[in-house]
Amino acid sequence: MPSVDLRDFIAALERSGDLVRIMKEVDWDMEVGAISRRVFEQAGPALLFEKIKDYPPGYSILNGPVATWRRVAIALDLPPETSVRQLYAAYEERHQKKIEPVVVQSATCQENAMIGPEVDIYQLPAPMVHEGDGGRYIGTWDIVITKDPETGWTNWGTYRFMIHTKDLLAGWPQATSHLAVIMKGKYLPRKQAMPIAIVIGCEPLCHMVATDPYKLGEDEVAYAGGLRGAPVEIIQCKTNDLMVPARCEIVIEGELLPDRIAIEGPFGEYPGYRSGTMGEGVLVQITGITHRRDPIITLSTLGIPPDDSSIAASLTAAIAMKRGLKRHGIPVTDVYVPPEGVTHLVIVGVEHGGSKVAREVLDYFTARRVMVSKVIVIERDVDVFDMNQVIHAFSTKCHPGRGITLEHYEGRGNALTPCYSSDERRRLKGTSVVFDATWPEDWEAEAIPIKASFKTTYPESVRQKVLANWESYGLGGKP
Amino acid sequence: MKREYVTFVRKLGDLTEGKQTLFIKDLTPGPRKYDTKLVRAELSLSPNKLPTGDSLWVRSETGYLHPRPWAMSILEELPPHVTGQPWQDVFAALRLLK
Repeated sequence: MPSVDLRDFIAALERSGDLVRIMKEVDWDMEVGAISRRVFEQAGPALLFEKIKDYPPGYSILNGPVATWRRVAIALDLPPETSVRQLYAAYEERHQKKIEPVVVQSATCQENAMIGPEVDIYQLPAPMVHEGDGGRYIGTWDIVITKDPETGWTNWGTYRFMIHTKDLLAGWPQATSHLAVIMKGKYLPRKQAMPIAIVIGCEPLCHMVATDPYKLGEDEVAYAGGLRGAPVEIIQCKTNDLMVPARCEIVIEGELLPDRIAIEGPFGEYPGYRSGTMGEGVLVQITGITHRRDPIITLSTLGIPPDDSSIAASLTAAIAMKRGLKRHGIPVTDVYVPPEGVTHLVIVGVEHGGSKVAREVLDYFTARRVMVSKVIVIERDVDVFDMNQVIHAFSTKCHPGRGITLEHYEGRGNALTPCYSSDERRRLKGTSVVFDATWPEDWEAEAIPIKASFKTTYPESVRQKVLANWESYGLGGKP
Repeated sequence: MKREYVTFVRKLGDLTEGKQTLFIKDLTPGPRKYDTKLVRAELSLSPNKLPTGDSLWVRSETGYLHPRPWAMSILEELPPHVTGQPWQDVFAALRLLK
């Protein structure tokens, strides 16, 4: 059974040796971020900072809940050493299961409350994550909840939120995000504020579901239940009608304002750079803050991989893309989003390739909002999870003239693509490219180069003999 | 006592001497460090022109820190937001205030 809440998960990480408690006092002003970033870059453990300068004992920050595959495995209640391929398979197997949430009337996340004029976000130890950020980010590894007022669809997403003043947050959900779809479609035309809840510190599978690009209109909370194998307990906010996970640490309740804005950003983001569009965000009036006793802020000190974003999105994005490609009739076998590619690079395996299939893959990735700029298409002879094989196929099978297809677009690009100019980012203008690392469909079998590998260039009888006699050759190790 | 603030601009060239309306972040140490204010202020590149002014550090849209702070004298503190729709350019909205 996966963890029931964040504290249960922390205990699981501690048992497996995947968490370090830091009891020495640390400064929320960049010291927490610097330690966390250093540990991320060593693929180290999750860090629980238990003594934060300027804040009461017991208020703490957890950095990197799922920033390694071991911690993802523990979140999924699998052995820590589970392979990436097995993690993908387990997530895919549970991906479409739904278990509806259960409503509760009281919850530890409402043990403490600041409502209306009492609201003071500075009571919580939000970190200044990186030097040069636009401010202190309370929302880095959060679940942001909004609702379509007509259909009742409740969306969960992960979006960054920065402290503006004691009762205002500035945020930057991308203009193409599901949150933006609801705000632009249902609230802005009526000049109405949109209720919002920013949830911090859930058990990790709820957070992973919030990063998962489920389709418009899908309630992520039911998928979180399916992934966990148990319903998510939810409770109504104190100042609006949104339902939030009852076992979280902190809920910031508010209204996204339709007619007022303020400066937001910049922020060191998931692609590994401070990029994007500074000063084009949204403003949230905080109406209430509730939290557990001794609250824990979940933090992901984003930057170059690995971190929670690059690891979690590797899994959640890949499974969603595989389903989407299948739905579009593409003969996909597997999709791998290498964490090092920070969702800008995707490897798509197909049953059979050729330029037509590569073009269809590109069309799928560029039809709506575009988060991916580079796609490599490979065939069955290459393992999508083995980047050595992928690079070999890309280097040798992708024709530098015919094998590369581009698609240009505007108004739906990913403003967090570091290689785009400031103007391109503001106009959401971009380009995606597919690298066709498959053999052309019109090549005769006898014309296709034979891969010179042990598996492909020797008869079965010779291979069996070599494997059977391996030890007798004096080579040792695994044949 | 002089205080220190930071402001963000798209490019350093966007900032000019004289009266400006701009968002600033208070760099006074403590749990309210980085609190945001919207102010009308007199700005100068030369501290001698505003001898009682505060220091204003300037960062670009990527967070690049310009090496020399400006001098700033706050004339008026405004409510900490401007009129505009979500995802609208806040700098364009600020220019409308002038």
